[in-house]
Amino acid sequence: MRLEAHLRRAATWLLRGGIRIAPRDMSEWGRAMLGELGHVEGSWAALMWALSGAGVLAKHALVSFLIPGPRRHRVLGGELLAKEGTMRKGTLIMGAACVVAALLFFLAPAFRQAFRVSLAQWDKVLHVTTWNQQPDLEALARRAAKQRDAEGLAFVAVRLRNPSESARLAEKAVRLDPRLIWVYAIVAVRHPELDEIAGWVQKLEQWDPQNALPHFITAESIDIAHVLREDVSPRGGENDPAWRSAMAAAFQSRKLDDYLDRLRNLDRRVVPRYGFDDPYQVVDGEEQYGLPSYTAWDSSRYAKSLLESGQELEAGGDREGALKNYWTVARFGGVIGSRGGFFVGRILEDAYKRLAALCEKEGNHEQAAFFGDAAEKAGQEVVRWDREFQGRLTGPDISLWDASVVKISGLMMFVFGGLFAICALLVLAGSWTVPPGAFRAGPVSAALGVVGAVGSLVSSATLYVSYRPYAAIFKNFLLTGDTSQVAQLSNFLSHAQVPLGVRNFYELWDFVFHFWVGLTLLGVIGLLLLTLRHLRARSRASAPALT
Amino acid sequence: MKAPRISSQTLQLLERFVERPTAWRYGYDLSRETGLKSGTLYPILMRLAKHSLLETRWVMTEEGVPPRHTYRLTPKGLELARAKLSEALAARQVRRPALSGGRA
Repeated sequence: MRLEAHLRRAATWLLRGGIRIAPRDMSEWGRAMLGELGHVEGSWAALMWALSGAGVLAKHALVSFLIPGPRRHRVLGGELLAKEGTMRKGTLIMGAACVVAALLFFLAPAFRQAFRVSLAQWDKVLHVTTWNQQPDLEALARRAAKQRDAEGLAFVAVRLRNPSESARLAEKAVRLDPRLIWVYAIVAVRHPELDEIAGWVQKLEQWDPQNALPHFITAESIDIAHVLREDVSPRGGENDPAWRSAMAAAFQSRKLDDYLDRLRNLDRRVVPRYGFDDPYQVVDGEEQYGLPSYTAWDSSRYAKSLLESGQELEAGGDREGALKNYWTVARFGGVIGSRGGFFVGRILEDAYKRLAALCEKEGNHEQAAFFGDAAEKAGQEVVRWDREFQGRLTGPDISLWDASVVKISGLMMFVFGGLFAICALLVLAGSWTVPPGAFRAGPVSAALGVVGAVGSLVSSATLYVSYRPYAAIFKNFLLTGDTSQVAQLSNFLSHAQVPLGVRNFYELWDFVFHFWVGLTLLGVIGLLLLTLRHLRARSRASAPALT
Repeated sequence: MKAPRISSQTLQLLERFVERPTAWRYGYDLSRETGLKSGTLYPILMRLAKHSLLETRWVMTEEGVPPRHTYRLTPKGLELARAKLSEALAARQVRRPALSGGRA
């Protein structure tokens, strides 16, 4: 009983809503439907009556919004015997102009780039490519190989996800141009599991003996070997003399060069040479191929062990040995700088404090004060770095908002474009038998066609406007090598890769599952509706003839 | 140019009106008799009224209950309805022998 009352109330509410939004000349008909509602038998039937009637009123409201004035009636099938009305020339021109204007956006390279970025959210959902398939880069590699272009091959080698192919191209590039030997380091950082690394590290150590990076690569390979042997205890690698020797060599090095400057210069030469402007392949790497994260982690582990052993030496009375250990950590902290991040920063602060205390004990107040200052600065740096990191995680991020706008605009382009294409097909199919120029469209297809055309233009313009600042950052990076805003672009690109409605990559696989389940359900419902409609049409056709 | 075709739903509705040409009909009754939903029925009624083929009036049935809109064909509407129904009947009769001939 209560349900029936609710349904009746909902039906009344629906029709009243329809009357409210309908044009004035439709209100009499709306009231007519409402007047009948009380006489409809059954509450569900009443709801259906109201739904169907409110649909008519809403259709008139929509068309009167798009085509004000009495012309609306012609669009809505004012002709008595024809269900369709001839499309007004103005409507046709406006729709076509909007679609042409939307298509013109594709002439702008920035828009083509924006369109590709807006599609990135579907990559994981639709599995358009498997993890190691990168067709654009593979095509570039083929062109570079044909032209024997070492830089082109190196450009691809550092970006390929397929380890063996990446190694093959790196070796080919270095064979063609031995000056590109640093490419080995970047490929090794990206694929630390490669067998070729031992040979590459030897060559890198000879070529750039002061750099700590080859030693870090060796240490990481040793760590990976421990993991493969299932020795995953926290100190698995640390107890290995080979790992300790590699880390000791890294801590003795005078510099830590990640070769990113060389890579940036190479990118700037290769990108225009091949017209390769996919920001996901070019810029995303800037963040990914930087100082490997394991460098900071390995450094903090090794530094911690040095400090612990220094403390033992100090307790045993070996002040010289302790000083040497503390100083090794402090010196390397200076080499790695802010790239070491939070963990190395804290250990560096600790090393300076211990040095200060040791000097104080020896009566060397001047040096103690110096190390005390250094410890304070290192501590401040850690706090600043932490605040910056927290801010990046929780603070307002304009790139997140922009990425959402780009994703929505890209999706809307498809929705409106599809709507327009369907309406255009319906109109063309309907006008097949009439002379050209007399396009006929049903009221709904005419209204939806106009909505589709205008929507396509608006969504294209929104996509272009929202992506333009990022296109400018990308262009600036390629032209001048300016990386000051690359982090912002990189943030934007990673937000744009996450599908709409998903907060982060952890929720992605749930989304993919629900997406496909939803799509399958919709397909099944659609199929059922089509079958029902077909069956009803058949039963209507076999009904008794008109008398 | 192809002649505009009258829809089967409009024909159904005209048929109901022609059955009792002088009676005022309610929307819901017409919907039940023809099986047309309100979303199909009312646009047809609107078009007929707009072309002065249908007259409408409001009637009070009970106290405290909203008035009801009632409809009947105008003489012009009745004339057109009869003509269209005859055309439809004739077309059906032409088609039926052809179909039965085909089967034989």
